[in-house]
Amino acid sequence: MSVVNYGTREITCKIVYYGPGRSGKTTNLQHIYSQLPEERKGKMVSLATETDRTLFFDFLPLDLGTISGFATRFQLYTVPGQVYYAATRKLVLQGVDGVVFVADSQSRQLAENIESLQDLHANLADEGLDPRTLPLVMQYNKRDLPPAEISSIEELDEVLNFRDVPYFSGTAINGGGVFETLRSIASLVLSRLSAPATKES
Amino acid sequence: MADESKKGEGSEEEGGEFADFMADISQEIAQRVQSLGPKPKAPPPEPRKTPAAPDAGLITEWPNIADRMIEEMR
Repeated sequence: MSVVNYGTREITCKIVYYGPGRSGKTTNLQHIYSQLPEERKGKMVSLATETDRTLFFDFLPLDLGTISGFATRFQLYTVPGQVYYAATRKLVLQGVDGVVFVADSQSRQLAENIESLQDLHANLADEGLDPRTLPLVMQYNKRDLPPAEISSIEELDEVLNFRDVPYFSGTAINGGGVFETLRSIASLVLSRLSAPATKES
Repeated sequence: MADESKKGEGSEEEGGEFADFMADISQEIAQRVQSLGPKPKAPPPEPRKTPAAPDAGLITEWPNIADRMIEEMR
């Protein structure tokens, strides 16, 4: 859970980009990374297979510097979308504060989107997190593909967004909707920031 | 929330998108930190004032209260 630590004056939030394989999760992080000013560019850790698919996860530490006297860090992760990396997805979800679900807008990928969303819910529940209340934002990616190949936003929203959370069109390949999505999930996560519980002696 | 759906315009100038993001987030964090901040301590209770010495004409003790009550009732 994201916490404002008044002792160390730190705020740390963990955001996970979830979704089916090849939906554009890594592309989201790559665009964010490309926009970081040089002085804030840390290392984006990306473990990919020889076919460029995410093998384990991507990790982008986003050091926002000191805000209101607090060292603020967002940790952005992606999960491997492929079905057989279920254990990795569970691992990456540990301690998550917010999720961006990156859906592939292609009509033929609708079943994969649904399967991935169900997988997300199951894994969150396994982690003791309530999938109905955890900060969540939807991004319907690949809106730049020919209209004949993609589902409409309304259709995707009807099928995937039953929580009625904020959603965004994405063309992550050229940065479209990437920061809007990040801003939205960051805002939701921040609204749930809490002060740490004081230890009883 | 259809009005929240936006199609990005592609990359702006280097760091521009990030700068906008930072501006929004900084404001939000500032508000949040302020609202969660340790509450100011309540002022310490005022020290108890020593009761003033009873007025010489004031009866503060009434040891034989039963006798006085009977007397009053007569």
